[in-house]
Amino acid sequence: MADVGRHPNVELHAYSEVDAVTGYVGNFSVTVRKKARYVDVKECTACGDCEDVCPITAPNEFEIGLSTRKAIYQPFPQAVPSAYVLNIEECLGNNPIACGKCLEVCDKKCIDYDDKDELINIEVGTILVCIGMDVYDPTALDEFGYTQYENVITSMEFERLINSGGPTKGHLIRLTDREQPKTVAFIQCVGSRDENRGNPYCSNFCCMNTVKDCLLIKDHYPDVDIKVFYMDIRAFGKGFEDLFQRSKDAGTIYVRGIPGEIEEDPVTKSLKLYVENTTEGTVECHKADMVVLSIGAIPRRDSSSIQQLLTLQRSQDGFFLEAHPKLKPVDAATQGVFFAGCAESPKDIKDSVTQAGAAAARANRLMMQGKVKVEAITSTIIPDLCKACGICVKVCPYHAISCDTKAKTPATVVEAACAGCGACSAECPFGAISMKHFTDPQIEAQIDAMLEVDAKDKVLAFACNWCSYSGGDLAGTNRFQYPPNTRLIRTMCSGRVDKKFVLRAFARGAPIVLVSGCHFADCHYINAVHWTQRRIEKLWDELEKKGIRPERLQLEWISAAEGQKFATVMRAVEELRQQVTQEEIEHTKKVLADVLEPSKLRAPKQPAASEEAPAQEAAA
Amino acid sequence: MAEEAKFKCLRCMSEFCLPYTPGVTEERTCPNCSSNSVRRIKGDKK
Repeated sequence: MADVGRHPNVELHAYSEVDAVTGYVGNFSVTVRKKARYVDVKECTACGDCEDVCPITAPNEFEIGLSTRKAIYQPFPQAVPSAYVLNIEECLGNNPIACGKCLEVCDKKCIDYDDKDELINIEVGTILVCIGMDVYDPTALDEFGYTQYENVITSMEFERLINSGGPTKGHLIRLTDREQPKTVAFIQCVGSRDENRGNPYCSNFCCMNTVKDCLLIKDHYPDVDIKVFYMDIRAFGKGFEDLFQRSKDAGTIYVRGIPGEIEEDPVTKSLKLYVENTTEGTVECHKADMVVLSIGAIPRRDSSSIQQLLTLQRSQDGFFLEAHPKLKPVDAATQGVFFAGCAESPKDIKDSVTQAGAAAARANRLMMQGKVKVEAITSTIIPDLCKACGICVKVCPYHAISCDTKAKTPATVVEAACAGCGACSAECPFGAISMKHFTDPQIEAQIDAMLEVDAKDKVLAFACNWCSYSGGDLAGTNRFQYPPNTRLIRTMCSGRVDKKFVLRAFARGAPIVLVSGCHFADCHYINAVHWTQRRIEKLWDELEKKGIRPERLQLEWISAAEGQKFATVMRAVEELRQQVTQEEIEHTKKVLADVLEPSKLRAPKQPAASEEAPAQEAAA
Repeated sequence: MAEEAKFKCLRCMSEFCLPYTPGVTEERTCPNCSSNSVRRIKGDKK
């Protein structure tokens, strides 16, 4: 931290929040709210005179409430910048000044009760999201008695307790009698790997943190007995197994089983843990003077605001989702945004440092070039057809389209920000958006060609490039059998599948049309798949109104790893196809005949072959 | 707060109830055949 504060190329904005982010890769504009700290950072020497005279006492957040601080305080030792901050909510009052003792003793006169939040605008090329994590709150798990018994503490509280800079200067004591405990019990996986009452995922670092704590206790207090209650010890990193063995050799007892109940002796305040030892197959009662709950990690509680600011994706566990788990593990789906540390998933220090280095290198690579390669497949607005309705602006997951609906000026696309999902093109009611390489005429030509001969025997399927189409590939390479009459049309995203493509397929005599895309959590275009679902739901209604059975339009979410599902779906859809009668197909063709008539809207202008370069470059 | 609504699977035609929040799109799966072609039966909230 001190190095960061001193580095000539690093501009540190401590005690600040990001209010807004606009722009795109290479051209982000970030509005930072520098919160009023009521102390002049440049003048403050952190002498501590103000803290000594402050009459207000409040729980110390850094020590997790195990000690107190004053209303004017340094957030934690070695904080950067080394300056005090005044919590104006706790201060006795600044308008009028009711106390003012801190100002009286401050030689530098660096306290300003009239300080205000300041908004700063910063132009940056790339953004790294390193917002860290929060920890699980075990108050809901009654059986561990966290809210009832003082000697039941969390691993974070224990961390402060044994830290030499902590409230006890590193001395291990019980909270009830300030005496050194003779037996310490650790309970693993509190709030982790529990779908019903916690989080289903493993928090990654808790096992090794406990092993480290055990060794630390044994180093300082060899006579203290330690018992660890666990489901599995996950010591999978380099040197971790050795560390685990060392803690066992040092005398730590590992019991396989999580206590179902903890009781406190009302006199001694010692604890009894009732547990089923699954290795021995016995129900046991263990005594301990102190119990440490090894709590897991949860996403930061303000993750959703960062998600909205930067149009990021989050996985089902709530952590930010990377663009690709193998090929782009530190990249966000939004170009120019990268992840490091526990923002992406729970991880230990080593993994966080590794990921931070990778993210910095990825960002630096973009910055050093001074220009970025953007997707060749982007949307283009046809100004003559655009009615400036603004639907495309709402649809775009990347905020790449802007439109002044009041002035009625045609929408514009920032191609550097467009990822090419095509949802805007499919949603535009005026046909005013064309997708390069996936234009309406190109897709319609594929539909016509596939259904030209024996349309009634075919299943027409739209498959998204990243998941469903790859799922089809996997089905092929794994030799999963599915009917050979399936005809696939690839689009980059299922969000590109326009209503008129489906209707055209039916008008050409398709008995069944399948639209398939990524699972919601896997969508490669943030939330474009949501528009697919909404469109299909509307289409089911529309088909029903026209007297066409809605079940002839099928919707499936198939991931790239679900080759088996792809084959199963295709077999099921083929069964549905066999139920469609020739009369139904003829009726549909008659009802939808107008779909095949030349559109009243002007056909989008096709780019010349020379314009369809494989990749474009945009100045960053 | 999500309420329950009646849905119909467009593959196996079975009907079932699932949590439903108006205006929120969710990935839905038929409990009978695992199809995602699940359509809400309108005007039939539980």
